Amino acid sequence: MNPVQSIEDAAIGEKREQLVLPSGLPVVVFPRPGFKKTFATFATYYGSIDNAFRDPQTGREITVPDGIAHFLEHKMFEKKGGGDAFDDFARLGASSNAYTDYTSTTFLFQTTAQVLDNLGILLDFVQEPYFTEANVEKEKGIIEQEIRMYLDMPGDRLHSNLMRALYVNHPVRIDIAGTVESIRTITPDNLYTCYRTFYHPTNMILLVIGDVDPQQIFDYAWENQKRKKYGKQTAITRIFPSEPPHVAEKRREQHMVVSMPLFVMGYKERGVQLAGQDLLRQEITYGLMWQMLVGRSSPLFHRLYGQGLINDRFYARYGASTTFGFSTLGGETPDPAALEAQLLEGLHNAPLREDDLERAKKREVGEYIALFQNPEELAYAFNHFFFRQIDIFDYVNTVLSIRLDDIERARRLHLNESLRATSVILPEVADES
Amino acid sequence: MSVTAKGKGFVGQIHEGAGWYCFPTSRFKTITLHAFIINELNREEAAFGAILPHVLQRGTSKWPTFMQMEQTLEELYGASLRAEVGKIADKQLISVHLEIVNGCYLPGKPDTLRLGLEFLQEVLDHPHTRDGVFPKDVVDQEKDLLRRQILGLINDKGQYAATRLIEAMADGRRFGLRKLGQVEDLDKITPHALYEYYQKVHRTRPLILFAVGDIDPGIIEQFMQKYRSPTPRQELQSIEAYTPHFHDRFLTEQHDVRQGKLNLGYYTGVTLDDARYPAMMMYAGILGGFPHSKLFVNVREKASLAYYAYARLDAMLGYMMLGAGIEFEDFEPALDIIRQQVEAMRQGDISDQQWEFTLRAFDNDILSEEDSPSQLIGRYLESVMAGGGLIGEALRQALHDVTPEQVKQVAQDISLDTVFFLTRKDTQAKVREEGLS
Repeated sequence: MNPVQSIEDAAIGEKREQLVLPSGLPVVVFPRPGFKKTFATFATYYGSIDNAFRDPQTGREITVPDGIAHFLEHKMFEKKGGGDAFDDFARLGASSNAYTDYTSTTFLFQTTAQVLDNLGILLDFVQEPYFTEANVEKEKGIIEQEIRMYLDMPGDRLHSNLMRALYVNHPVRIDIAGTVESIRTITPDNLYTCYRTFYHPTNMILLVIGDVDPQQIFDYAWENQKRKKYGKQTAITRIFPSEPPHVAEKRREQHMVVSMPLFVMGYKERGVQLAGQDLLRQEITYGLMWQMLVGRSSPLFHRLYGQGLINDRFYARYGASTTFGFSTLGGETPDPAALEAQLLEGLHNAPLREDDLERAKKREVGEYIALFQNPEELAYAFNHFFFRQIDIFDYVNTVLSIRLDDIERARRLHLNESLRATSVILPEVADES
Repeated sequence: MSVTAKGKGFVGQIHEGAGWYCFPTSRFKTITLHAFIINELNREEAAFGAILPHVLQRGTSKWPTFMQMEQTLEELYGASLRAEVGKIADKQLISVHLEIVNGCYLPGKPDTLRLGLEFLQEVLDHPHTRDGVFPKDVVDQEKDLLRRQILGLINDKGQYAATRLIEAMADGRRFGLRKLGQVEDLDKITPHALYEYYQKVHRTRPLILFAVGDIDPGIIEQFMQKYRSPTPRQELQSIEAYTPHFHDRFLTEQHDVRQGKLNLGYYTGVTLDDARYPAMMMYAGILGGFPHSKLFVNVREKASLAYYAYARLDAMLGYMMLGAGIEFEDFEPALDIIRQQVEAMRQGDISDQQWEFTLRAFDNDILSEEDSPSQLIGRYLESVMAGGGLIGEALRQALHDVTPEQVKQVAQDISLDTVFFLTRKDTQAKVREEGLS
């Protein structure tokens, strides 16, 4: 086996142990002495945007139905011969769950007993697909209800509409769960195709956070994996359409049962195709920029708050992957037009000052340290970075290395009117009937 | 008051309405401080209690503006301050929460516990005033935001349906009052009236401080000395338990929604301090606490009628709520399945697997609470307010001692109060408008 690496972030008293199993599966352990619960994730770098790719068996380019990554996530819990993985975890006192986002699918459990046995269940259910016509049909009813639940969630619609306005071609514009119509076309065959393509150990990561002995985890994981005889996998070819340097629509509006309008505006990033340290640097720079321009400590935030245009849940953030990146700024507001106008005026003209940057950095560092006491958030952040070839322990040094002119440049490049779109949810017009 | 060593859970006490509880542990990288002022929920003051925390976080005598407050927090490595209103049964909780990174992980090793306590005290004791009362512009802005928050309940349909059900079950009793108050009560809030309210609750209502982290409990105890008024505060009042006013009542409300929300409220008569509480927990767990539970398996997995289906206990008041998000047309089959499952519980129809899985799931839940400062505080606060009852390890042990016969016993006393169905407009939802039984 490959040697175990021990990697430290001494300043904050953190370390992790990791290795790559011969099957190609990376295993990472964050020891958490004194914690009662162990939290583990088994994640694949496969999300809703991966809807076109080259089938590794036939070599042909194929497009699969929207929402299939999320559908696959649901279906993995079903086991051959009946029963599901939820029961296996429950038998061992663990709780389990899973989630799908734009770029990854994550299966997880948390337990306070029998860590290794639970780990075995996690590895086995994710690595033993079982799809039939009948069990796929049955799932459509459940997922349809899930999609309908989202259709009633104003915040969810707000974001979904923004993505459709910002992006012309990139599949990040499609809802993660797909649509009621698109999931109806899913078959066992195309589920197996996606499974074979994206659930190979080389495209996944196993992460364990808890009061555990790392070597035991590594040994157990390898015993489990070597039975399964994974062969080599040809490199995955994902196909993304080219995205033009303009938005699909400037503005989308929808009426729903809400008490007050919801507003969000987004900026589509052009500087994509980054990974590793460059991507981390971009994410942190943009995060600091938003904090300085319109974060809770900024004059602009307080001007808007004082005018009643925002409440304290207003947000401004940037998120990126290797093929897309976008900022979102939004919240509830009585007057979307006034908020938008004031934001545009303020964002472009607010002075960027050295002491604001220093404070914003302190906040980033504090939030990073606090991450390590929350296993769920740590796992999410670690996996997110891992799939983008970023080492989470580079975070603090990268924060400290950002300079004021980095922020100035980020503002010049990112705040581009032709890459900006707005989404608004408005209250229903009063119905007299 | 003796101070015990790390690893013993919470230490502390409440005396004459002023309490402190500290959980010393080196497990966490942050220090968590939660202060609660507890007032009896009442229609006249609910909106005052709801707005006060928001006004308190707007400024203090040392940092008069909201922006200065936020910049100070940011300077403290992004310490987070959350001032908000909460509700437990018939009590309104005015709470100020502060979480700050433990200084030992920071450059220069600042004493962040001291800085955090100073900040908290500044917020609680020295709010920014103008002409002896809260500044009018601040009060007006926060009134406007509170108004929107009250009106915004409808934005979350699941929560809206649950709130409407509890209101209906309360039938005018205080536990049904909303923690945010009502829009029409906002007019009474003036800078002067709000300041008087603040002085009253700040000086005379029960105040409890919780602290979790690598902390010497003696520091928390000493800090709380400041809150021992010359005239004692009100003692924590006991919670008035709920008894049903209705039986098998059906209510419906129509909105423009894509999914129906079905919620059922049951009287259990078992509160946290009741010896039957562990049996009641097993009951609710087996019925609808987990993915292996009867509701999830039968409503979602077998019938594919819902994405979620749950049972939740209110251990303070003694009721249980069942909820599911369903297709409008599926109202009858979903309700039938839910009622069949409740009947199965009454018959004592529980498999060994349901029993074992539930027991282990509670083990996992209860032990895991110890890894989260806010969950630790939440549980302990509930037991303080219930005036006893088992939590943590003692509750875990008690669950293991419960027998199926005891669960069947509590099942006999459970009765359906009200069914609430949030459905869509302009369709003939096929529902019976009256008595269900």
